[in-house]
Amino acid sequence: MVRKRPAEKSQEYSESIINTVREPLIALDQDLRVVSVSRSFYDVFKVKPEETVGQLIYDLGNKQWDIPKLRELLETILPQKTTFDNYEVEHNFSTIGKRIMLLNARQIQRVLGKERIILLAIEDITERREIENGLEKARKELAATKISEDAAREYAESIINTVREPLIALDQDLRVVSVSRSFYDVFKVKPEETVGQLIYDLGNKQWDIPKLRELLETILPQKTTFDNYEVEHDFSTIGRRIMLLDARQIQRVWGKERIILLAIEDITERREIENGLKKAHEELTELATELKRTSQVKSEFLANMSHELRTPLNSINGFSEVLYDETFGPLNEKQKKYVNNVLTSGKHLLLLINQILDMAKVEAGKMRLALSSLLMKSLLADISMLVADMVSKKKIEMSLAIAEDLPSIEADELKVKEIIYNLLSNAVKFTPEGGKIGMRAKKTDSEIEIVVWDTGIGIASENMGRIFEGFFRVDTPYSRVTEGTGLGLPLSKKLVELHGGKLSVESEGLNKGTSVRFTLPIISTKVA
Amino acid sequence: MKKKVLVVDDNPNNLLLEKDLLEVAGFEVFEAEDAASGIDIARKEKLDIIIMDVRLPDMRGYEAAKILRQDQATHDIPIIFVTASVMGEGKEEIRAITNTGFIDKPIDTRTFAKEVSQYLK
Repeated sequence: MVRKRPAEKSQEYSESIINTVREPLIALDQDLRVVSVSRSFYDVFKVKPEETVGQLIYDLGNKQWDIPKLRELLETILPQKTTFDNYEVEHNFSTIGKRIMLLNARQIQRVLGKERIILLAIEDITERREIENGLEKARKELAATKISEDAAREYAESIINTVREPLIALDQDLRVVSVSRSFYDVFKVKPEETVGQLIYDLGNKQWDIPKLRELLETILPQKTTFDNYEVEHDFSTIGRRIMLLDARQIQRVWGKERIILLAIEDITERREIENGLKKAHEELTELATELKRTSQVKSEFLANMSHELRTPLNSINGFSEVLYDETFGPLNEKQKKYVNNVLTSGKHLLLLINQILDMAKVEAGKMRLALSSLLMKSLLADISMLVADMVSKKKIEMSLAIAEDLPSIEADELKVKEIIYNLLSNAVKFTPEGGKIGMRAKKTDSEIEIVVWDTGIGIASENMGRIFEGFFRVDTPYSRVTEGTGLGLPLSKKLVELHGGKLSVESEGLNKGTSVRFTLPIISTKVA
Repeated sequence: MKKKVLVVDDNPNNLLLEKDLLEVAGFEVFEAEDAASGIDIARKEKLDIIIMDVRLPDMRGYEAAKILRQDQATHDIPIIFVTASVMGEGKEEIRAITNTGFIDKPIDTRTFAKEVSQYLK
C-alpha cells in the first residue's frame, strides 16, 4: 500500500505533462495498448477518448491506424533500439485524409516491474512537405515557362503563408526574403522589422545565435540539406526555447542565387515532457531503492530485537520452570498457580518472538533451509499424533487421507513440521465442539499436495485479504479462548514459498469451514 | 566424591540457573564470567567437565577451547557449548575440537543436568 502512492503520483504527473502539450503524443504499454494520450491527439486525429485508452494502437479509429510502416517501427525497429527519431510515415486516414507524419519514439522502462512504456510523439509534416514540394514544383514550372521572378515569388510566398509551422526564407546574404505568418506569431516579431533584415538582427538581435550562425555559415555551404539541427536559445520575448531546424538550399531558377528555407519546429514542450518523464523515472528509481533499503533495515532490526528479547525471556522461563517444579522447596497452591501463569505467558511470548524472527528472516532473505529427504507418510502421521490430544479433548473428529504412493520429498524437516503443525492446530482452534477436521495428501506431477480442512468458523469473504497480514485473527468466541500468535498462517505461507511451493486458503464464508491447500516440490528447486 | 563442573557464561542469570540445577543434581560447581578466568580455574582445579557459552566477552568459545586443549593440565576435559542456533557461528570450528558437545539454548531445566552427565567420562 505504501509502495503504490509515489508511483501513482508520478503517473499523474506524467499524464498531466502529456495533457498540457499541444503536440499529439501517445503512450503505449509493451503490448502496444494505449496507456495515455494527449488532448491534441484526439483533436488532430479525430478519435474519441472512450475508443482509445486500452485499445491496441492499430485498432484506433476503426483500424485506421493499422499502418504497415507503424507496425515496422513498433515491432521490428523499437525492440532493437530504445530511441528512434524522425521516422516518416505516410498514410491515408479515412477521417482526415492523406497525412505525412514524423514519429519520434522513446522506450521508457517502468521502475517498479519490468514493463516498458513506448512514447510516440507525432509531428504532422504534411504541410511542410507541401511547401517544399510546392517550391520545387514552382522552380520546375518556372524553368519550363520562364514566368517572371515576381510571379514566382508571389507563388512561393502564398505557399509559405498558408502554413501553420514557422518558416523563413533567406537569400544568400542571409537576409529575410519571406516569412510565414506563424513565424510572426510564434516568435513575436513584426513584419515591418523582418523582411529585408539580416536574420541575426531580427527582434532586436535576439536571433544572433551562435549555433544558428554555425548552421547557416559553416554547415549549409557544404550541404544543401540539413535536418533536425537542434538550437537552444533564450529569447527575451518568449523565453528559453528549444528548436529543431530543417534547412534546405534551393537554387533560384532565374539566376545563380540560392534561397535558404528554414523550417522551425519548437520542441521545447516535447523536451519538457521527456525530461519530466525522465525525472519522474529517476525519482521512482530512487524511491524504490529507498523502500528496499528501509524494508531491509526493518527486517534486520526485527532480527536483532528478537535476539535481544530472547535472552532475558529465557531466564524468566528457566527460573519459573525451576520454581514450578519445586526443586528448591514446595510452593503453596496460589504460588504454584501464579508461577505457572508466568511460565505459560513466557512460553507464549517466546513462541511469538521466534515467529517474528522467522518472518523477518524470510523477508530479509536470510532464512536458510536445511534440506534432507523426508518420509512424508510417517511425518504427517507423527504430527497428527501431536494434535490428537487437543482433538479428543475438544470432541472433534479427525480424519486422515494420505495417499499410499505419497513419495519422500527433499525439504527442511523442522520447517515442514512447523507448517503442518500450524495448520492442524489452527483447524482445531477454529472448529467448535462436535466439528470435524482432516488432512489429505497426494502426489501431483513433481509436487505433493496437502490439504488441511475443517468444518469450523470459516473466513468471511471480506476478511480473506487480511489473513496473511499477521496478527489478524477472526474475532469470534472461539478465538478469544484459543492460544495462538496470529502469525502461524502467514509464516506457514512464507515457509511453503521458501521451499518453492504455493499455499492458498479457501472458505465459502463464515461458519462454512476452511481449507488450506499447499504444495511442496518433491525435488527441491532451492539451493541449500 | 562430587563431580567438579565449571560453568562459563557472561550472563549472571544463565550462570545462576545452570549452577543451581547442577548443584541440585550433585555437582560441585565453579563459576566464571569470561574465558580467561575460566581457563585459570580449569588449570587449578581438577575439573570433570566444562560448560561454556559460545560468545564470551574476551574471546569466542572455540578459541578458549583450543587454549585448554594445548595445556597438559586441561587437554582432556570434556567441553559442552551452550548455543542458541542450530547453525550458530563457530560451530564448525568447535566440531573440529575433540571431546566437545552442544546443548541447545534455552536450556531445558528438567533435562539439563542429565544432558551434562552424559558427557562425563
